[in-house]
Amino acid sequence: MPGLSNTIRELRAKRSMTQQELADAIGVTRQTVIAIELDKYSPSLETAFRIARVFDVPLEQVFQYEPPRGRR
Amino acid sequence: MSTLSYQERSLYGSLAAELIIYLPYFVLHHGNSVNKVAGMIFSIIVLQILLQSIIAAVTRHRMTDERDKLIQLRGYRAGYLTLASLMVVGLGMLWFHTLAGHNFPIHAGFVGLHFLNVFFGMLVISDIVKTVTQILAYRKAL
Repeated sequence: MPGLSNTIRELRAKRSMTQQELADAIGVTRQTVIAIELDKYSPSLETAFRIARVFDVPLEQVFQYEPPRGRR
Repeated sequence: MSTLSYQERSLYGSLAAELIIYLPYFVLHHGNSVNKVAGMIFSIIVLQILLQSIIAAVTRHRMTDERDKLIQLRGYRAGYLTLASLMVVGLGMLWFHTLAGHNFPIHAGFVGLHFLNVFFGMLVISDIVKTVTQILAYRKAL
């Protein structure tokens, strides 16, 4: 599906980090972390950078963008 | 499995309070007395305070984040559009009623109370639309 996707679940699993721990680290609710992981919510740029910083990886390793057809 | 956040619980509490107080009020036509109107306003305030206090007491994480704020804005937009639409429809009906030459066959005091209830009904409907929109926004993708 075109749009924003992410690897948060995999990155979290590698570090044995719970959704609540990640939520506390980036200053959002656990429900927001769940929504981001399921691609149901695109976070703000600030939150996206915070997530990348928590995992200590570049932003593009956490989030990938597939533009919709006709907008490339 | 995701559990409900504080904001979601608060919304369900608000919706419950609105339905418990407003449904009997409008269905049983309690708006024909100033005392009942005042009683209804007092009841909704007390019930909201009670429910929200209980929800706050049983919820550990009570934070609000960017997604909550976005959903809140969507709810207010839906509520505002509903209220504006109802106002336009209401004014249109009043204009059509007057244009058709119909007069109100009731005394002025009752007309005042009737208009208060119509206006209050519009506010109630738009508030319920706002709350339901927010609840649905938490369930689907943004």
